[in-house]
Amino acid sequence: MTNSLFQVLSCAFVVGCCLVACAGPKEGAPGDETPEAQASAFAAAPLTVYTVNYPLAYFAERIGGERVEAVLPAPPDVDPANWSPDPDTVAAYQGADLILLNGAGYAKWVARSSLPESRLIDTSAPFREELLPLEGVATHTHGPGGEHVHAGWAFTTWLDPALAKEHARAVAAALAGASPADAALFADRLAGLEADLESLDRRLTAARQTLADRPILFSRPVYQYLIRRYGLNARSVHWEPGEMPGEEMWRELEGILEHHPARLMIWEGEPLPDLAERLEALGIASIVFDPCANTPADGDLMSVMERNSVSLEGAAGPGSS
Amino acid sequence: MISIEDLRFRYAKGEFALDIPALAIERGERVAVIGPSGSGKTTLLHLIAGIRTPQRGRVVTGGVEVSGLDGSKRRDFRIGNVGLVFQEFELLEYLSVLDNILLPYRINGSMKLDREVRRRAVRLAEEVGIGDKLGRLSVQLSQGERQRVAVCRALIAEPGLLLADEPTGNLDPANKGRVLDILISSTEASGATLVTVTHDYDLLDRFERVIDFKDFYSADAGEPS
Amino acid sequence: MKDVLYLAWRYLAHHRIKTAILVISITLIVYLPAGLNVLVNRSAAQLTARANRTPLLLGAQGSSLELVLNSLYFESDAPELLSWAEAQRVADSGLAEAIPLYVRFRARGQPIVGTSLGYFDFRGLELAAGRSMAILGECVVGAATAEKLGVGPGDSVVSSPESVFDLAGAYPLKMRVAGVLAPSYSPDDEAVFVDVKTAWVIEGLVHGHQDLAAPEAASAVLDRQGDTITANASVVQYNEISEENIDSFHFHGDLSGYPLTAVLAVPESDKSGVILMGRYEGEQEPIQIVRPIAVMDDLLDTVFTVHGFVVAALGLVGVATVAVAGLVFLLSLRLRRREIETMIKIGGSRAAVGSLLVSEMAAVLVLGTLLAGGLTLLTSRFGAVAIQTFLLG
Repeated sequence: MTNSLFQVLSCAFVVGCCLVACAGPKEGAPGDETPEAQASAFAAAPLTVYTVNYPLAYFAERIGGERVEAVLPAPPDVDPANWSPDPDTVAAYQGADLILLNGAGYAKWVARSSLPESRLIDTSAPFREELLPLEGVATHTHGPGGEHVHAGWAFTTWLDPALAKEHARAVAAALAGASPADAALFADRLAGLEADLESLDRRLTAARQTLADRPILFSRPVYQYLIRRYGLNARSVHWEPGEMPGEEMWRELEGILEHHPARLMIWEGEPLPDLAERLEALGIASIVFDPCANTPADGDLMSVMERNSVSLEGAAGPGSS
Repeated sequence: MISIEDLRFRYAKGEFALDIPALAIERGERVAVIGPSGSGKTTLLHLIAGIRTPQRGRVVTGGVEVSGLDGSKRRDFRIGNVGLVFQEFELLEYLSVLDNILLPYRINGSMKLDREVRRRAVRLAEEVGIGDKLGRLSVQLSQGERQRVAVCRALIAEPGLLLADEPTGNLDPANKGRVLDILISSTEASGATLVTVTHDYDLLDRFERVIDFKDFYSADAGEPS
Repeated sequence: MKDVLYLAWRYLAHHRIKTAILVISITLIVYLPAGLNVLVNRSAAQLTARANRTPLLLGAQGSSLELVLNSLYFESDAPELLSWAEAQRVADSGLAEAIPLYVRFRARGQPIVGTSLGYFDFRGLELAAGRSMAILGECVVGAATAEKLGVGPGDSVVSSPESVFDLAGAYPLKMRVAGVLAPSYSPDDEAVFVDVKTAWVIEGLVHGHQDLAAPEAASAVLDRQGDTITANASVVQYNEISEENIDSFHFHGDLSGYPLTAVLAVPESDKSGVILMGRYEGEQEPIQIVRPIAVMDDLLDTVFTVHGFVVAALGLVGVATVAVAGLVFLLSLRLRRREIETMIKIGGSRAAVGSLLVSEMAAVLVLGTLLAGGLTLLTSRFGAVAIQTFLLG
């Protein structure tokens, strides 16, 4: 009995070894791909890039082309600078391949959220020294901590075409870091974008030359970098294009005009007809220079800037275009 | 059955000696051995069973010269041919009645314990009146019942010779007779030889022959230790 | 042979108390050193595994053991603090990923670990329910914490005050549970993970309150000069962060000075790690950088030394026990002399009788050893859980 059992077990063992030896990988079986094939499969998927404003999304798409899917989750009718995503949207940011920040304190919600540090890109980091501090920001103190200042920076950095190019370069570098195989493509497309920004810069420079030092007004203090870039003689008020200012605000304007006799007010958006008419009565023309912080209803960042240039050239007068 | 010639046995300590010039016991005889205490009656049984060997002489038991065998062969001979009953019963307290009866078959590899042996054990127990106590431990039985278990143990291998060393020595009068009846009837039925050492002179008439031991020990006696 | 074994078993079963005592004694003298060995080795393996998987740890100068125990096992008091700037220094070096750690507070006995999302990727922690923390005030709890506190996604966990008497110190913050981690059988199971900024909220370095410029806060305003508002102590501060009030949360002072208990540095390569370590070798350097495995090895050397003494002592006890067991056996042989003689007399072979006695002894030894082996197996199977519960929990 013992002998037979031993023989049976021995045969089973031999048969088992044969089966294992024969059960090698088959051709074409799943999981049989080479590492190169797998890498290639993954490489084909576009990078998901989340941004905090539209200009960065535009730069990512211009530079990345089909290799990038740029997402700005902010609703189209809100200013992204004042928008806070809900936790689920923050979770969506966490899943992105890259998260492009404007820097300069734009998107304060970032400081109150948990985002993966390794995928966060501050696109204004290369020109941090050139940031402009905000003026007239309220500070408060309380408790034993002493005074603490809610200091801030002006953040519409992309309105300066030179800084916009810096943003774009930072975006290109981030994309190349995330997808080294496409670095050459990104560099090529960046060059095209830079050329467009330089062309915009030339047009705005020409318009500024026509404007010379004429005093102008801005409806809101969000044009600091434009003002600095072109050395504009500008003052800002806090007027919304869709709201008729109160009488006190009109009086405040008249006070400004005594020392700063502007004949031009530049708006973020189209002002109310009554509002524009009343300004006209004061001898102040209104034009629109859309900062384009969010996705435009039609066109893209460059077409919006194109329209802005046309408006400014028109306001500057002959010889600017 | 038993033949002793010119036997001399002396214990190691040397004071006691047993000298038996000749002794013969026929097959099927019922023999009682009597004599003073310390005269060597138990020693004689040991020599016949091959438990001890003499310094001189021959002991032939059942046709086998046991005095000339080595210890292992003497034990093998004994287990299948000689049944022993002791005064103190010598049962194993941790075994049941049945296991005690079957003990010879468990302690010698030459004996095979099979169903036939088990049936024989049960039959023997029933014959001696302890058939309903097979599962009990031996310590749970009375003196008489324990000696009956010892008798069954001695008979289980169907020996040709039964040696009983004062089998009734620790029993009350009623059990004395009963146990002796069992010994005699069992050996009669099987034709075995029975040699019994006893101090119970009342029972001598149950034996065919009485050997008085006072003739067989050395004059320079004292009591063997 | 089976007859001999049967007799041996009957003997042992009849003398069950003596048998039980002998078996238990053998079991103990075999299991104690074996089980202790398994436990110690498992503990060491667990401790060193976690330390091994943690390449570098930065902390303020001080006890490296306290730094490692606090950062890896969330045990011991918070070590000397270092600043957020040090995490930035590591990140900016390009040599390693910097994962901040701020392990100082507790929530109902469970450690609150302030860190970043990179910690979860680094430790390979996965979610079993819900999602990762997204905004200030959210937390992700370990599997054991979820079970102990009976919380899941959507529930709340409140941080415990550091001291009942420190009314101006860290105050309880109600944190919303965003997710529950899958069991990792590590100290991470016992933790409440928050963004390091949330830990700063607990400390009071980051807070949210009424808008002092709003009319409703007028009673809280002491003085207003130009753009500077001074508030009094009645200003309402939020102890729960919600979507309604999160925008009011702000940081005091310079972020680079905010405290951490450690920075977990994950070097890009071995060479990067060596270079990074070299940068902290100056005598005046206020920051220490340690390899946790080296610290744990030092600790375990001490443990193993003690373990060696204990095993040696157990060995001596074992020898004594075996000697006593042998004496018991010899004494019982003496008591059974008559039984043995009877068996010889009725024809038992010396081999059978000898085997019987040896079998009895062997049965006790085998049974004791088997029991000890079973207990050792159980220890090796459940030792990890026992260590986690009783040693590290």
